[in-house]
Amino acid sequence: MRALLLALVAASPAAACELPGGNAQKIQSEKYLVLYRTSPAPLAVGRHFSVEFAVCPAPESVRVDAWMPEHRHGMNYRPTITGSGEGPYKAEGLMLHMAGKWELVFEVRAKDAVERIAQVIRLQ
Amino acid sequence: MKRIALLLLVLCAPALAATFTDDEARKIQSHGPWPAPWTPDPSNRVSGNKNAIDLGERLFFERRLSVNGEISCSRCHLPERNWSDGLRRAVGLKEVDRNAPSIVNVRYHHWFGWDGAHDSLWAQSINPILDPRELGMNAASVATFIRSDRDLTCRYRKTFGAAPATDDEKILVDAAKALAAFQETLVSGRTAFDDFRDALARGDRAAMARYPEAAQRGLKTFIGKGACDTCHTGPAFTNGEFHDTGIPFFVRPGEVDPGRYGGIKKVVSDRMNLLGPYNDDAKRSTATGTQHVALEQRNFGEFKVPSLRNLESSMPYMHNGSLATLRDVVKHYSEISPDRLHSDGEAILKPLHLTDGETADLVAFLQTLSDRGGQYQRRPFPEDCR
Repeated sequence: MRALLLALVAASPAAACELPGGNAQKIQSEKYLVLYRTSPAPLAVGRHFSVEFAVCPAPESVRVDAWMPEHRHGMNYRPTITGSGEGPYKAEGLMLHMAGKWELVFEVRAKDAVERIAQVIRLQ
Repeated sequence: MKRIALLLLVLCAPALAATFTDDEARKIQSHGPWPAPWTPDPSNRVSGNKNAIDLGERLFFERRLSVNGEISCSRCHLPERNWSDGLRRAVGLKEVDRNAPSIVNVRYHHWFGWDGAHDSLWAQSINPILDPRELGMNAASVATFIRSDRDLTCRYRKTFGAAPATDDEKILVDAAKALAAFQETLVSGRTAFDDFRDALARGDRAAMARYPEAAQRGLKTFIGKGACDTCHTGPAFTNGEFHDTGIPFFVRPGEVDPGRYGGIKKVVSDRMNLLGPYNDDAKRSTATGTQHVALEQRNFGEFKVPSLRNLESSMPYMHNGSLATLRDVVKHYSEISPDRLHSDGEAILKPLHLTDGETADLVAFLQTLSDRGGQYQRRPFPEDCR
């Protein structure tokens, strides 16, 4: 029984997932755990930022974007992403150009299935 | 006795026309302090350099920097008109398609021009020099002019450490970097709003009450019902980005101004951009926007969000100068037709349906964003440069 429990813990995404450097935010979906950290933090309107992140289990590919649902638009910039496997990844060149409610979106792809994992950010 | 004293205190306490919630107070404080901090532009090795500022100031008012010897940068950027020209569309050698934007506080921008076709102030400064409708010069004629003028040659050498050589394009870029260094010194002064904002930050109700009541109500609309601060953010009252605000973008029958769509195409292909050989910053630390800017269909008809500081003296308004007064601008947003906005664009703007009183209050608030005097005085130049 104990061995089964241990095996279950080891197999869960959270157990192995790591983003070196500390102070990571967590987003847990049904399949994935995303750990991320922005630089600078906190974010400011109209200022470029980067996102370091890890995704567990490792996806085939991942995209990062941001979206303002109430205003029906995304960013004016397209980030570039480096990294592979579970990470760490780094997305650079993001900017939230308006105050209000944004969604930071991790679009995770594996085996032809795409999952959209979003975190709400309220920018003052 | 104690009760009477208390009553007198209440009666004598300064009255505020509007009360502000904590959230509103935080929003108001985000528009300061003023002047905002600034650091020299790393892409321009002479940014903040005194000799460059002197050379740039001289070039800015220099009519011989135009092909006919009659027009200078100050033709469209007049100090007494908040560094704009008061015309609907600017006129150089010919009339151009857009209103001359004010260059005051331009050092805080990260995109330049109504369409953001340039990513540095020095690259932007090259544009009117070469535009055949503005100053109509070319690299060779600019270089020849500077090389042939003893005083300018001397100032160039003092600024850049060597006399102008044979590379015409380099001399053109250097001249633009000096022009940028001068324009970076043009900062608007403190305003009635700044005094109110600072008084609010330190909880000084007596100083807050000196701010006109109509402006207090207008400010409440600006950050509340109007949500104007969604795009007019920060100390300069602009997010420095681009939006479609429902202003028609036909330049003339059958011809449209593509706005930001054209601006992005220009800036990414411009060899004078921050990714090109003339950026003096090896780290390309200010080139992130150029590297990552995304071209989208919705950029068509988007124009830059202007700063609202010193707005009162930079009429007419909008990218094509089509609105004559501040009241016209407020009315435009009050009655905006969503049908005039891109169907695949942003869903930010909706008619505000402001009452006449709200409109007047919002105008009163906008008027308090202009500084009180302190006009630019052109400094006398020493005759000799050695």
